[in-house]
Amino acid sequence: MSGSCFGFAPVSDLSFEYLRDGDGDALEIGEREGTVDDAGGALINEWTPIPERRSWARLYEDGGRYRLWIEGSGSFHIDPCIPRVELPLGLESAVKREERLWGIPALLCFLGRSDHPLHAAAVEVNGETILLAAPGYAGKTTLAAGFAAAGHRVLSEDVSCLRFSSRPMLVPGPAMLRVRQDVAGRLEIPGASEVAAGDDRAHYSLDRASRGNCSPVPIRAFVLLRHAEQGIRLERVSPVDALRELWPLSFRLPTLQDRARCFQGVTALVDAIPVWNLYRPLRLDLLGDVVRRIAADV
Amino acid sequence: MIDSDVKLRKNPNTAFRTLAAGEGGVLLHLESGEYHGVNDIGCMVWQLIDGERTVADVVDAVRSEVEDPPDALADDVTRFIEDMRERDLLLA
Repeated sequence: MSGSCFGFAPVSDLSFEYLRDGDGDALEIGEREGTVDDAGGALINEWTPIPERRSWARLYEDGGRYRLWIEGSGSFHIDPCIPRVELPLGLESAVKREERLWGIPALLCFLGRSDHPLHAAAVEVNGETILLAAPGYAGKTTLAAGFAAAGHRVLSEDVSCLRFSSRPMLVPGPAMLRVRQDVAGRLEIPGASEVAAGDDRAHYSLDRASRGNCSPVPIRAFVLLRHAEQGIRLERVSPVDALRELWPLSFRLPTLQDRARCFQGVTALVDAIPVWNLYRPLRLDLLGDVVRRIAADV
Repeated sequence: MIDSDVKLRKNPNTAFRTLAAGEGGVLLHLESGEYHGVNDIGCMVWQLIDGERTVADVVDAVRSEVEDPPDALADDVTRFIEDMRERDLLLA
């Protein structure tokens, strides 16, 4: 097995669809018997079903190790110190299993490595990262797909791994795009192949040529996605207003220590990286124009 | 109203960071999760609170740092400190 994702190189007998080229920190990945009634740990977070996330999920913590229970999937056991993820046996498909892996379980592992998780898509323009940030169902993935259709590299589709160094960097995530079915039917993404369907999304795997490697990419800008009835425009956002937008999109554990870590991370980001509001109509026929505008002006 | 002889102390469950020049800073109450944007003078006040200074000490220190301090400086700084206490950012 070779390849990496979020800077992790899986050590596993399982197969993976979405890895990029290159090496990374060893991440042990296996499977484990378990039931939804797995006991142990304190409940620290709960995700209730909403339109854009239909599964119930609960996160438990026990001595620095985590158990993520997802309705219909079972329990994922995560130990960020090793790091190791154990997946429940019997998930519906290898692709869906991997998509679960690169969500909260991987996020907890790179959080343990002191990287910063943000709910955002990321694309590469001229060797730099542009982050597309918004709550769910605000068009992140569609816009990322628009960048892919225009020949840009998609670095992350939903969860982004940010790393602080002399310049903030993004560590590329899984080489996948889960595009709304109505968008998939009208947008051609060069080199992408559909590897799963069955829900309201077409699940694409990006081809080797377009996925590239997992080396960190410097961050150029954040773009916050807004709706407008007409016209495409970009406006700079002040750091304090940017903090208000990015704080809820940053994952944090419910401890004082992790809130402080998250606060220092988000404030460092809004201080160092320009943040823009993008106002645009949610129209597929304008997607190319929106992509060109962002690539040229942010 | 904070007594004049009380030494101002920060709530230890807070986090603070200054932003780029002219952008002020941000304070976070770690327990409530509420955060507050502050201007450059607010940043200066926060950094002057060290467990030793009183309200009057802070006002004097700000006055000595600011060029052409406005007449209302003492009232503004005092009101800001009272506001921080009401938000549980200070333990005075």
